[in-house]
Amino acid sequence: MEFFNTFIRAAFIENLVLAYFLGMCSYLAVSKSVQTAFGLGLAVIFVLGITMPINWLISEYLLSETGLLGVDLTFLRFILFIAVIASMVQLVEMVVEKYSPSLYSALGIFLPLITVNCAILGGSLFMVSREYNLSNAVAFGLGGGFGWFLAIIAIAAIREKIRYSNVPPALRGLGMAFILTGLMGIAFMSLMGIDPAAFTSNG
Amino acid sequence: MAETAVKEKESVFQFGKKERKLLTDPLNDNNPITVQVLGICSALAVTSLVYPSLVMAIAVIFVTAFSSLFTSLLRNYIPKSVRMIVQLVIIASLVTVVELTLKYLNYPVYKQLSVYIGLIITNCIVMGRLEAFSMANKPWRSFLDGVGNGLGYGVILVAVGVVREIFGKGSLFAGSPIELKIIGPTADYLINTADSVMFGWYANNNLMVLPASAMFIIGIMIWIQRSYNTKLVDVS
Amino acid sequence: MESTRYVIIFILILTAAVAVSLTGLREATKAQSATNEDIFNKRAILTAVEDYLPDGQKVAELSDEQVLELFAQMDQPVVDMEGNVIEDVKAESIDMAKERKKPEAERRLPVYVYEQGGQEFYILSVRGNGLWDEIWGSVALKSDLNTVAGATFDHKGETPGLGAEIKDNPSFSEQFEGKEIYESNGDYVSIKVRKGGARDPKHEVDGISGATVTADGVSEMLYRGLKYYQPYLDKVKQQSLLLN
Repeated sequence: MEFFNTFIRAAFIENLVLAYFLGMCSYLAVSKSVQTAFGLGLAVIFVLGITMPINWLISEYLLSETGLLGVDLTFLRFILFIAVIASMVQLVEMVVEKYSPSLYSALGIFLPLITVNCAILGGSLFMVSREYNLSNAVAFGLGGGFGWFLAIIAIAAIREKIRYSNVPPALRGLGMAFILTGLMGIAFMSLMGIDPAAFTSNG
Repeated sequence: MAETAVKEKESVFQFGKKERKLLTDPLNDNNPITVQVLGICSALAVTSLVYPSLVMAIAVIFVTAFSSLFTSLLRNYIPKSVRMIVQLVIIASLVTVVELTLKYLNYPVYKQLSVYIGLIITNCIVMGRLEAFSMANKPWRSFLDGVGNGLGYGVILVAVGVVREIFGKGSLFAGSPIELKIIGPTADYLINTADSVMFGWYANNNLMVLPASAMFIIGIMIWIQRSYNTKLVDVS
Repeated sequence: MESTRYVIIFILILTAAVAVSLTGLREATKAQSATNEDIFNKRAILTAVEDYLPDGQKVAELSDEQVLELFAQMDQPVVDMEGNVIEDVKAESIDMAKERKKPEAERRLPVYVYEQGGQEFYILSVRGNGLWDEIWGSVALKSDLNTVAGATFDHKGETPGLGAEIKDNPSFSEQFEGKEIYESNGDYVSIKVRKGGARDPKHEVDGISGATVTADGVSEMLYRGLKYYQPYLDKVKQQSLLLN
């Protein structure tokens, strides 16, 4: 139940990109077409879903005082998290290059930039500061990734449609995307604080 | 011999037209934030006040320039399979240098910015330029490219910061030794005659305090930039 | 160039070079940075008694030497959770962040006894949770160990303009001056931050609009943090009764 709760919170109520504004660069740059947004969104779900449990294991069993090495190495947390994320992204890059060259070239520089996507590192850091257990960490990773995926598809869909509207030329494209995201962000602020458990428990 | 074109030997630190372009392009035509779409996250988080924006900009210029330099120096030796990790190690080390230096020189500023310093590592501009330029270009030019992009980022950051701070808090450079209170009831320039108090009526706009305001401000900046620089229309 | 051996050697050399240079820089700057940090923390504590500094100075006007002087003159007992003074430790060596990680019963509490112009102040340290991360503060009590002479707060990562106002906006902490932590019948009530405006003029202060979680964090931090000092404060009161 808690798994479900954390998943819903991460995906909708505390959406990484619309509530916390994490992962903006790729979000704005890749949302020109729903198809590429879809591909990047899936990549983000994958990377988040895998790196969260791995980082949790590292944080719990390697870096903490009660871990394997017996010394408090928490200051290495940042570096190791990023290293794990970088390796995962390198893996994803190789897979995408091999199986979908069109997606690879469409994503361009933003595929390796998943490594420094603040949403992914931010996710791991939230996991640590909120002291999630393993199942919550996985739920947060998958939920957060899913939420990011939905958000980027939503804005890609809006941007595709808005091409048929009378937007002033200088505002077309990126400028509009900024304003749209700002509006979506404000809308999402109203959701902060809702506890999904309140809807599922009795009474 | 006379017919073959003679190639001019480039000196290492040449500063000609091409090099100047590396510095000026990112200010307008190839601005990291408004054209390349990089460095957005920190542009939202830091710009509620001007002073942190300024210090962040300086830190980013430093980190981008020197990590571009080091990456370029090593570009022929970095194995392809671990290139992202190597780039990150370079970036993270330089950020640590910034942190240690700040702690040494000015502890209160370090405290104010400690959260943001970590953000430099995830700033897409740094890694973006390493991937797009330094991995394939010579050291001096990579250094200049880093400085240029840092400057382009800094200009936008300070501009957004100025708007957000004036309209969100009524001040400029709050938190620094040269804080000025521009508008609002506590302004430094109140003219206290019977019914004219300069901008004393201004109440802080709370939207400016939220990150979403930075999105609107940058959107409008893009609009203005592309209205004057028409070759950028529809470019991204 | 891609052979695994090359990759491993490259990574090892790079890591070694980075480790050496960063450690070198850290060693070179360590001493000065530690002093900077110490002075910074001490200035923060002095802000709780800013209105009572020598010659009417403000904390920012004091030089580093003056700050260290003031602390050298202070009595700095460290007490345990039962109110007993622990020997051979000075309050300035206590790291509240580290103490918080210990089980409650084992924590040590720093007390700074500041004297100026015939008045005596007890500066206590509290620590709690804000919205995003930890918050902490210093509360200075007058010699009646009930009235607040001043308070100062700080945080790790609260939102600028909202939760961060507990530090950035002096009018928030100024509200605490003159408030009391005990009821007239001797019951401990601490001081509450009330959203929408204080109702009890002696034991409540106004909240910060938009920063309810941080404000609640401050209330909780004060209630629990000051309560830890109860045994010690009771002992001090008893002793002063005996002496008079």
